[in-house]
Amino acid sequence: MTAVTTPVPDAQPTSALTGRPSGLTSRVRRDLVVGAVVVLVLAAVPFSAPPEIVNALSRILALALLAVSLDLLVGVAGLPSLGHAAPFGIGAYAAGITAKELTTVAPVQLLVAVLAGAGMSAAVGWLVVRSRGTYLLMLTLAVAELFHVLAGRWQDVTGGTNGLVGIPAITLWPGGDPVRLAGYRYWYVLAVAVVGFALVVVVSRSAFGRSLRGIRDNEVRMSSLGYSAFRLKYTVFVLAGAVAGAAGSLWAAQARFVSPTDLGFEVSALALLAVVIGGRGSLWGAVLGTALVFYVRDEIGPLLGGRGQLLLGLVFIAAVFLLPRGFAGLRLPRRRPAGASS
Amino acid sequence: MTRPQTPLALAGLAALLALTACGGGSLGSDEPAGSAAADSSPVDIGLLVPTSGVYAPLGEDMANGFRLYLTQKAGKLGGRTVNLQTVDEGESPDTGVPGAQRLIQQEVDAVVGIVNSATALGVRDAFEEAQVPLIVANAGADAITGERRSDYVWRTSFSNGGVASALGPHAAETCTSAFLMASDYAAGKEAVAGFERSFTGAGGKVAGKVLSPFGTTTNYQPFLAQATSSGADCVYSFFAGAEAVAFTRQYRELGLKPTLLASGFQTEGGVLTAAGQAAVGIETSLHYSDQLDNPRNREFVTAYRAAYNEPPTVYAVQAYDAAQVLDKALAGAADGPAVVKGLQQVGTVDSPRGSFTFDEGHGPKQAYYLRTVEQKDGALVNAVRSELTGS
Amino acid sequence: MLITVIDGVALGVLLFTIALGLSLVFGVMDVLNLAHGVLFLGGTYVAVAVLGDGGGSIATLVLAALVALVAGALAGAGLSLVTRPISARGHLDQALLTLGIAFVGADLLSQAFGNEVRSVSPPAALASSVGIAGGSYPVYRLLVIVVGLLLAVAAWYVVERTRVGALVQATVADAPMVRALGVNTTRLVTGVFAAGAALAAFGGVLGAPIISASPGVDTRVLILGLVVVVIGGLGSVSGALVGALLIGQAETLGVSLLPTYASFLTFGTMALVLLLRPAGLLASGRTA
Repeated sequence: MTAVTTPVPDAQPTSALTGRPSGLTSRVRRDLVVGAVVVLVLAAVPFSAPPEIVNALSRILALALLAVSLDLLVGVAGLPSLGHAAPFGIGAYAAGITAKELTTVAPVQLLVAVLAGAGMSAAVGWLVVRSRGTYLLMLTLAVAELFHVLAGRWQDVTGGTNGLVGIPAITLWPGGDPVRLAGYRYWYVLAVAVVGFALVVVVSRSAFGRSLRGIRDNEVRMSSLGYSAFRLKYTVFVLAGAVAGAAGSLWAAQARFVSPTDLGFEVSALALLAVVIGGRGSLWGAVLGTALVFYVRDEIGPLLGGRGQLLLGLVFIAAVFLLPRGFAGLRLPRRRPAGASS
Repeated sequence: MTRPQTPLALAGLAALLALTACGGGSLGSDEPAGSAAADSSPVDIGLLVPTSGVYAPLGEDMANGFRLYLTQKAGKLGGRTVNLQTVDEGESPDTGVPGAQRLIQQEVDAVVGIVNSATALGVRDAFEEAQVPLIVANAGADAITGERRSDYVWRTSFSNGGVASALGPHAAETCTSAFLMASDYAAGKEAVAGFERSFTGAGGKVAGKVLSPFGTTTNYQPFLAQATSSGADCVYSFFAGAEAVAFTRQYRELGLKPTLLASGFQTEGGVLTAAGQAAVGIETSLHYSDQLDNPRNREFVTAYRAAYNEPPTVYAVQAYDAAQVLDKALAGAADGPAVVKGLQQVGTVDSPRGSFTFDEGHGPKQAYYLRTVEQKDGALVNAVRSELTGS
Repeated sequence: MLITVIDGVALGVLLFTIALGLSLVFGVMDVLNLAHGVLFLGGTYVAVAVLGDGGGSIATLVLAALVALVAGALAGAGLSLVTRPISARGHLDQALLTLGIAFVGADLLSQAFGNEVRSVSPPAALASSVGIAGGSYPVYRLLVIVVGLLLAVAAWYVVERTRVGALVQATVADAPMVRALGVNTTRLVTGVFAAGAALAAFGGVLGAPIISASPGVDTRVLILGLVVVVIGGLGSVSGALVGALLIGQAETLGVSLLPTYASFLTFGTMALVLLLRPAGLLASGRTA
């Protein structure tokens, strides 16, 4: 690095002592403000919206967390996965089984689900991340399908194809009242989703995240610089699995029902498409992408007398041509100061 | 540094908030849904059936059956005008569960339908907690009226085990041994278990069994080869939809010798038409056939054919009876618990399948018929041989 | 046992007709065409429309096949046109577009033909069964094996022994160089797309008497096609054949040997192959 640099607008304040960034940059500050506003707006929804909208939002938030974890894998690390519903579904089953057999305390279920998702990813990841591109897509699909079949056949544990039924309502602390109202349950889901999202953002903006982007863009060069591509990829794979597991626990808490379809190809594919529609790597784009895809499929589609698939297909086609870099790629016309980067 | 996406994101959220700012909010008291309407005010009924995907043909028949009854009663159930809302159940609980939740939250007075058993089991708690009655008009999981029964869940269709076990004693009389085949999902497993129970109970010998992967098997040759090598003189099978068509046709193409027995879904409606000549001679058990010769069925078949230009299927009858049952229960019922009380007092239902009553699990206690597929007047029908007893 | 193996070959060659087009399109255009399953489904519905439930004669079967080839080629050319603007954008965008097209196509087919299962009988002359190794085996499936193997030979010949085939292989290996040599790769690519789609539709007609037409067939066929293509190696014709025969045996012989694990066999085989040979069995050198 050169010792003298011309000042750039909005440059990171650097410590004179170490030359490293210090304090909160204006970019981070702005993102925090935007994030806080978004969370407040979302939190205000139950005060005015009827339960079916709040429940729909709860579902979308759980799936959005899944998509965000997938975006970490796909967009940041460049590992396209068609099997991310597997840690999600495993987390959902783990949370549901915990709720039925052990405790209804939601944070405990969340922890079990995170461990389950991470565990599954850790077990298969060391084989899977050696692949890349289309082969990685197919390998992750294969792994997820194997778990999908297993969930349908292991009747004693998962309830088989009839699903895991009779999951009790969550309680927020030991001895608390079961959370039955849509609004309160939504707040729990929102809280966990926000924390999970923030975690993924922090990871993405850390040095680790930068290394991942380096691997994504030029793995050979990163290896020659001494980075272990395999270790980085494996770590992010397990991390994404953990966050997906957390999303699964939210799904189980909201739907109080888990079935093998939650591990299925359709969930994996739609999550991946949501990431693409949102703009790979932007993380918040995945949230919007999920909202669009699942709102169309679950809220509008069933009211169209059987034409739901047609609408979803048209949405995909439109997204490809109208949103070339996803929602995150949309730029409102704005004069950009010279030398600025985003 | 500019962040042009920020205004966009905020605009999106503002739109979202505007969208949600109608309606009363989700933090109210825990009161269950259900209108506290006067006795003869209009009633909202949700029809939750598949209108897309692999189960759509069943959904169509169910909708037809339900609507036929409504037309016969001038659009009223229990003397009250019906506002019917149809929601697509889709193929799986992914879409079925949200669909049911939506209907519940729109405060319908009752919901009818559901083909997918997982969906039915998954929404049971929601209906019970919201105190909205659900009349299951197809989903056959034993648990729906078994371990997972509820005051608010009633069924006018069947249980997988019940249909299959009806065939057991007859099979024990006519077969030396039987090889059991089904699709590897809950319905297939329940059917095989039900048949095996009553078959062995009546002295039959099971020569073996095999389950084929559910939803992905298109080629049954390796499974049928096992049936042949088992040496059984009968095969009992449970398949539905496209699997039933493929299985039946391949059974004949591959020249299997054993007598083929099945649960009636394998030769019902569109599946029978698609299986064609291959289905002739299959013996099935089911709680309905359009060939049933009783006055109620004769008039039902005539009315159905006139309205829809095709013979009715068991799926249509199940939904038709759901409407009948609601007709009795909704009269003067002010809310969910009152409807349930009405359902408990329904007594005998005069169905085209023969009359039936509800058992303690709220499922139908009904007769099952032995049917054989035959050619009649240029079409294939399920001719009724006899009523099956002793299971 | 012998019948099961033969049946595996029949299933395998049917999968080959599906996989060949998919593999070539990927190899030549680097496009992941997820609308491929719908093309097969369209072929089965062509058979339904032309043959009806009665089966008809061998001539009508041939007619259905020709209709499917033409319709498929047109659809393929159309798809090539539509995907060209985004062909540089990577596989995920192509997946989004082609899956959207697949959803639209599947819905239009279900509107036109209904949601019921529509079955097709083989022509009367081929509807019988012959005795083989103590069992009885349908003549039509033997025809499928013959046709499929002829197709494989023809495909091999075209790709390995003709100029067009050489150009296709060259484009797979190094498209800009081929363009630099003055070849109109756009037309070549459109041609490959059209041929691949025509093959898929043809496979639909061929397979209709075995796999009846109904919603959901497209997804199942697409996934199987992708599995075969990946196992065989993307862009390789012989790879597609080897992969198809392998999966055909997995789903027949494998099922008869390990019936309790039947549901795991296809994906288990693929996972195993990919772990041992990450680029497929007979990779052509195209990196994914």
